Amino acid sequence: MGSIYGLTALGLTIIFGVLKVINFAHGSLLMVGMYVAYWAIVFTGLHPYISLIIVVPVMYFFGFYLQDIVIKPIFKAEKDVREPITVIIVTTGVWYILDNLTLLIFGPQYRGIQDNPLRGKMIEFGEMMISVPKLWGFVAAVITAAAVYWFFQKTRMGRAIRATSLDREAASLMGINQFKVYNVAFGIGTATAGIAAVTLVPFYNIFPTVGVLFDIKGFIIVVLGGLGSIGGAILGGIIIGLIESIGPQFMTATWTEAIVYGLFLLVLFVKPSGLFGVKYDW
Amino acid sequence: MNTKFKFWGKLTAIFAITTFLAVIPQSPAIWAADNVVKVGNIIPLSGPSASVGQQGKNAREMAVEEINAAGGIKSLGGAKLKMIYADSESKPEKGVAEAERFINTEKVHVLTGCWNSAVSYPTSAVAERYGIPFIVPVSVADKITEQGFKTVFRIAAKDSWWTRDQFAFLKDMEKEFNTKVKKLAFVYENGDWGKGFAGQWKDLAKKGGYKVVVDEPYPSTATDLSPVVQKIRRAKPDVLMLVSNAADAILLTNTLADYKVKLKAIIASGGGHADPSFLKAAGKNAKYIFDIVEWETDVNKPGAKEANAKYKTKYGYNLTGEAVDAYLATYVLKDALERAGSLDPAKIRDALASTNLTSSPGMIVGYDAVEFDKTGQNKHASLVMVQINDIGKGLERITVWPKVARRAGYTPIFPMPAK
Repeated sequence: MGSIYGLTALGLTIIFGVLKVINFAHGSLLMVGMYVAYWAIVFTGLHPYISLIIVVPVMYFFGFYLQDIVIKPIFKAEKDVREPITVIIVTTGVWYILDNLTLLIFGPQYRGIQDNPLRGKMIEFGEMMISVPKLWGFVAAVITAAAVYWFFQKTRMGRAIRATSLDREAASLMGINQFKVYNVAFGIGTATAGIAAVTLVPFYNIFPTVGVLFDIKGFIIVVLGGLGSIGGAILGGIIIGLIESIGPQFMTATWTEAIVYGLFLLVLFVKPSGLFGVKYDW
Repeated sequence: MNTKFKFWGKLTAIFAITTFLAVIPQSPAIWAADNVVKVGNIIPLSGPSASVGQQGKNAREMAVEEINAAGGIKSLGGAKLKMIYADSESKPEKGVAEAERFINTEKVHVLTGCWNSAVSYPTSAVAERYGIPFIVPVSVADKITEQGFKTVFRIAAKDSWWTRDQFAFLKDMEKEFNTKVKKLAFVYENGDWGKGFAGQWKDLAKKGGYKVVVDEPYPSTATDLSPVVQKIRRAKPDVLMLVSNAADAILLTNTLADYKVKLKAIIASGGGHADPSFLKAAGKNAKYIFDIVEWETDVNKPGAKEANAKYKTKYGYNLTGEAVDAYLATYVLKDALERAGSLDPAKIRDALASTNLTSSPGMIVGYDAVEFDKTGQNKHASLVMVQINDIGKGLERITVWPKVARRAGYTPIFPMPAK
């Protein structure tokens, strides 16, 4: 479960790292991804994980154009500011609009995919039980993180994205089209939310406000792992996941939330840049 | 501005108002035309309980449509009911703020809501302060009607009755199937509702001689309940008792099946387990769960089948206990308004207090009358237990307890067979 939190946080951290914007709509993007995956699986009868070939491109372009059409104009209006506040407000607006649109279109019902080959699959070692879809979630998180890392390090576009994230103006001077970079970064961030959605769909419910549950955890993880750090997002996710699954064995489940938030505060006090954050960025 | 003009303007305005006021008493037609009873409804339309909130809204809409089509409130010159909705998002502070807004800005005559006990409780204090009658169709926390308030009226049974009946049911099952139950596990949502239930369960368990092996609250917003389920699995209880909202009910049921937890029975407490999407989303994992409800589609009451059929064609799913309470509440309000013959909140309140509703299109519940005691609690509200099972027509909820109400030809499955 922690790795799926990590996957959600990964998209958030990519978008933050590049755009320097906290994307409040990220949970909603995850929710959109879950609905896309749900309908893709229900209509085509595909194996849930094969629906990735539909969900990822759909989500990529959804993110790409969301950035291009909705967020870019605001960005242009605020181009002199390093961390544009209004964009954050716009993403909050996008969050509300997406959640309520889904509520209008699909209603508040809870959906789950009944007949999928992964549902309820377990690997048993005596007393230990591991959920198969969650195990695949972990694999997906590691592969995605590795792929994103490779993309940022090795490809031309990836380098352009990193350059822009370091210094927007200098990158522009070098002939990088910063808004294209933003679109692509937002698209990648949304696509990772799509991957997280696909790994969730086999065992989790789909409903319009599902994103909120993952949103808050995503923020905590991103801060914990260090804003903008890919490895940090995954590791932060695993840490939170471990606290959530081991904690309740020793105390009531409600306490784990207190621990998670306590840890969050502790990290903010001791190492505000997060476990893997880069100091000079602050 | 010209003072003369101002003076004349004022004079005309005063004149216009006085004429208008003078005309009203003599012509009931004009009076009725802009005469509506404003009902403020605070229900969760988004957030974790949105699904239940929507059903409550649908049921209210259906009742209002019927009442208005039948000529509205006759003693008020055919006044129409006008429902205004606010979304509580299941948050107490939202409920309180919306109640203030309804009373001060919208000038509602009556309030209803809020489904979540945690929201109804503080909201009832707002209604009491302004003297606005507050009808609570279903919010089960005992304390809502135990604050000595004059304006709170609850249709549904309160939670001490729910827990009492759950244990009575368990005892009866043990006797009927000759199976001993010793160890109980309590798992409940971390709100007013769950905690209220759990507190009473603990007392009842002590009285009944049961051993409580798990006593675990959890946050309803949890995304992963497998740690809780593992805890249950290791404690090896005979019976698991649950209080859950919808998303967590589905998650718990599926996780319990995933981890192959062996239990003799699962007893749920309505809410999430009674949500129509629960059966769809949990599927065969929901089989054999017992649930306590106020109403089931197979209830033997005139008009119930028709009302359910109408509701189903309109909204696509069956009426639930919550929806029926909301439906009935609207008719109770109509009855009180008819007898009050006034829009004065104090008069409506008095009329509600003297309610004794036995026949009404809204009376499709399992009991025979709505009558409020001193605290505003409906004295007659009662409950039934159902079991979720598939007897050839897909999963459905089958009434099993009390034995007189059991669906003909059905024997409950107890203990639960291994899946």
